[in-house]
Amino acid sequence: MPKTTRRHFVVGCSAAVAGMSGARFGSLLFADTEMPYNNETLIVVFARGGMDSMNLVFPVSGVDRGHYEAARPDIKVPVNEALPLDGQFGIHPAVGQLHNVYQAGRLAVVHAAGVPLGNRSHFDSQAFMELGTPGNNQGSTGWLARHFQSAYNLPPEIVMPSISVSSIQTTSLLGDHDSINMSDPGDFNLQVGPWEWRDAQRLAMRNLYSSDDTWLHTSSLQALDAMDIIEIHASGGYTPANGAEYPNSSFGRHLKVVAQMIKLGLGLRVATIDIGGWDTHNGQGDGSGGYFASRVGELGGGLAALYTDLGGFGGTDYTNNTTVVLQSEFGRRLRQNADRGTDHGHGGVMLVMGGTTIGGVHGTWPGLANDQLYDGADLAVSTDFRRVLSEILIRRMGNNSLGVVFPGYADYQPLGVVHGTDLPPDYSPGGALLFRDGFESGDASVWSGSQG
Amino acid sequence: MESRGKSTVHGHTTMTRNVHNLTARGTRGNATAMRTSAPTTVVETPPPKSLPPPPAAAVLALNKMGYGPSQGDIGAFNALGSNGDERHTAYVEQQLNPNGIDDSEADARLAAAGFATLDMTLEQLWANYVTGDGYRYRPYYEVRNAAFIRALYSTRQLKELMVNFWHNHFNVYGRDYWIAPVFSSYDRDVIRANVFGNFRAMLDGMAKHTAMLYYLDNYTSSNAGPNENFCRELFELHTMGAENYLGVMQQSQVPLDNEGRPIGYVDADVFEATRCFTGWSVNNSSSTGNTGAFLYRSEWHDRFQKTVLGTFIPQDQPDLKDGHDVLDALASHPGTARFIARKLCAKLISDDPPQSIIDQAAAVFMDNLDSSVQLKKVMRTILNSDEFRTTWAEKAKNPFEITISAMRGTNSHFHFAYDANDTDSFFYRYDDTGQPIYRWPAPDGYPDTRDKWQSASPRVMTWRFANWLIDFHDSNGNFYLDLLGQTPGNVRSANEIADFWINRILGYSMTTADRTQIVQFMAQGHNPDADLPLDTDEDTRDRLRAMVGLILMSPTFQWR
Repeated sequence: MPKTTRRHFVVGCSAAVAGMSGARFGSLLFADTEMPYNNETLIVVFARGGMDSMNLVFPVSGVDRGHYEAARPDIKVPVNEALPLDGQFGIHPAVGQLHNVYQAGRLAVVHAAGVPLGNRSHFDSQAFMELGTPGNNQGSTGWLARHFQSAYNLPPEIVMPSISVSSIQTTSLLGDHDSINMSDPGDFNLQVGPWEWRDAQRLAMRNLYSSDDTWLHTSSLQALDAMDIIEIHASGGYTPANGAEYPNSSFGRHLKVVAQMIKLGLGLRVATIDIGGWDTHNGQGDGSGGYFASRVGELGGGLAALYTDLGGFGGTDYTNNTTVVLQSEFGRRLRQNADRGTDHGHGGVMLVMGGTTIGGVHGTWPGLANDQLYDGADLAVSTDFRRVLSEILIRRMGNNSLGVVFPGYADYQPLGVVHGTDLPPDYSPGGALLFRDGFESGDASVWSGSQG
Repeated sequence: MESRGKSTVHGHTTMTRNVHNLTARGTRGNATAMRTSAPTTVVETPPPKSLPPPPAAAVLALNKMGYGPSQGDIGAFNALGSNGDERHTAYVEQQLNPNGIDDSEADARLAAAGFATLDMTLEQLWANYVTGDGYRYRPYYEVRNAAFIRALYSTRQLKELMVNFWHNHFNVYGRDYWIAPVFSSYDRDVIRANVFGNFRAMLDGMAKHTAMLYYLDNYTSSNAGPNENFCRELFELHTMGAENYLGVMQQSQVPLDNEGRPIGYVDADVFEATRCFTGWSVNNSSSTGNTGAFLYRSEWHDRFQKTVLGTFIPQDQPDLKDGHDVLDALASHPGTARFIARKLCAKLISDDPPQSIIDQAAAVFMDNLDSSVQLKKVMRTILNSDEFRTTWAEKAKNPFEITISAMRGTNSHFHFAYDANDTDSFFYRYDDTGQPIYRWPAPDGYPDTRDKWQSASPRVMTWRFANWLIDFHDSNGNFYLDLLGQTPGNVRSANEIADFWINRILGYSMTTADRTQIVQFMAQGHNPDADLPLDTDEDTRDRLRAMVGLILMSPTFQWR
């Protein structure tokens, strides 16, 4: 028997919980405690398919502008259309609203970020990032799941600690049995079938799935729990605040669900969202137009709408407790291919957005000269993606257990993308803590991503 | 066992569960002290959760080799031999030879649905739906509808299950502008034609099919502008798998196996293979006739020598030979045999199948590289193994499998036709389960691990769909599912009704505790042995619907 339960997934457990809507859970319900619980929400947006970061953030001056234009004669974004960042770099004109966030000093751009290993596979690279273990794609727990397992500053009970807004569970939360996934709160119920027997049926479902504790019973009970929460709290629909207009797309709708869940005050600490369609091998659009422009337009418009909705530009401000990070499995080849698209590359870009974000362009720019490119072809990786995530973990989430969250990662230094208190990183691997679900035990060094 | 508290508040039973088997590392008293050293407490290993024991051979076979029992299937299975082993072996043999099984009901239903595109050649599809005026997504919708009809009614259940498997293995996005018009051909000529055939032959058909040439961009790949999208996935997803990818490394650094082959592949192999497939294109312009068929454009081909997987490919080979050499090298590599064997076992046995059966299946794959029934032999090895026959409940049905299985178990005849309102209503709801078939955008196909499908959204949305199904009626108020008519006249008490439908849907009994839940639901406080007014009272008939919905949403129904 486990001795203590650290956190319960508390489900519709009382009128008190139902009545908590709108309140910040950690700060009110547990106000008797002597320490303030961490109240941060981290939203991880994953651009799937390998985003062509070089056409989102690109050089607008200097010798690298020449390399960029030479390598991308058709698809280069013209200098005179770029929205300015820091003089050396510009950002795609389709992300004007997001540029407003940048100008407000609340958007950090980290270029040349990625997995510090040579791998141009979508699925390997996504797994490395989401499992948090470059070089190993076989783990059974995601990095965000291990964040929850190792965070010691969260209240013992949270109604909804994490959500993956998608139709299928995201890998970064793999193994976190407190996490729920859902794409539309309005349909997330069993309110179909003969109406007069719905309540009785629901009760019987609970009893059926309480009769044993196999993996299926456990996960299904959790689904029933999640359904209760959503039904109690989120059945009334949602209107974004401050005139925020989300893109009319699944990405826009999913961002809106996250905003809604944050404002419900159910204790949400982590949310994950995907935006797909980045594998632009063919016809990505010349200049500042075409397919890629529409993708970054949706991405930037969605992030800016979220920032507006959460009060970053006025209104009740949730952004001071919210950090959004964007990542993609890799960037793309510097040189355009003959189809005016780009093939799989290496270094990419990460964006960090929030009220406590230190705006600006961060990271070391490796350069675009041939001998500066990775494998003679791609932007190099000068910032390990774990460095950015670790800084957010420590400074915003107050969790310094890097050895658990990113086993094998050992040389963390803050890059300075968010404000917050530095804590000495704890590289201890956490032993059996990691391996609760049969994750192969033992030697964390085999996962070391520091080679390459 | 995990401990649970349970109480009922406001009509909802609520649970407090120990979801983390973790010992607290920071308590509320000392949590302000920052931890900077290794944790001093360790986790107890939870005892393994016991899974339900395997059911009778018929139930196991029908659920793991297909989409669950339909009325009469259990009896037919049991007539195949005098004991479970005999029946199982005979059933495997029968299913591996699908053309020998009468499939007249599925054929009749396909014919009645009036599909226009399923029998069209690739060129006919192109002429009608690309260069012609036909609605270009129609072939996709017809293949999708036909897949539901076949999974529901075909007696060739294993074939249908494996068609779905290979569609995901060689995934294309079916509702794509270029792929949808030719999807009927891809389904028929590439997947269905080779499902128990030769892997190299299926690979060949896939690599030359217009659907894949568009999906992974090879149709544009030329010497002047090679596009590596196809070859990347050819190695990683279709043949050797990521488990044999060694990353960015020189070819010369890759260790060799006993027979002198590189043990895995590197980026340079992908690049070199890309050169081999330059010119593998589509006849898509008026200058060549615009037929939509595969077209080798020799003038686009990179004619110089290449090296792929240790195979030297000399310059100026005959047309197509460079690509064929790559496919030969891939299809005969032991890494491919292991990858395919592992994936088949993961579908049929468990997410992490025993190495013993993977090795056996891979050996059969390698011993039959040129056999026209290579995959049939691999399948036979897996399906007759002890590992297959004794494993139960390591996996649950995915949303597509639950849906088909629910419809088979309840004799639910649905009208699937192109451009029909009820079909649209059906898919409007079904697609929310997270598994709209042939519509996974990335080339890796739908995930098939239980982690992915046990998460909240697929579980809730698939339950929701089952509950919708039992209550669905047409615009005249006629239920599609005639549950009362299927309930024999002498079955009227809660006990009898529950037992009839449990046995009918599952083919075996539930645990006593679970059965009690079903009976109590049906009885609603009345004597479970007393007859219920099923014939005269609408509320009671509605309760029968809800009870069947409950069985379809129950844990026992999900296992496979």
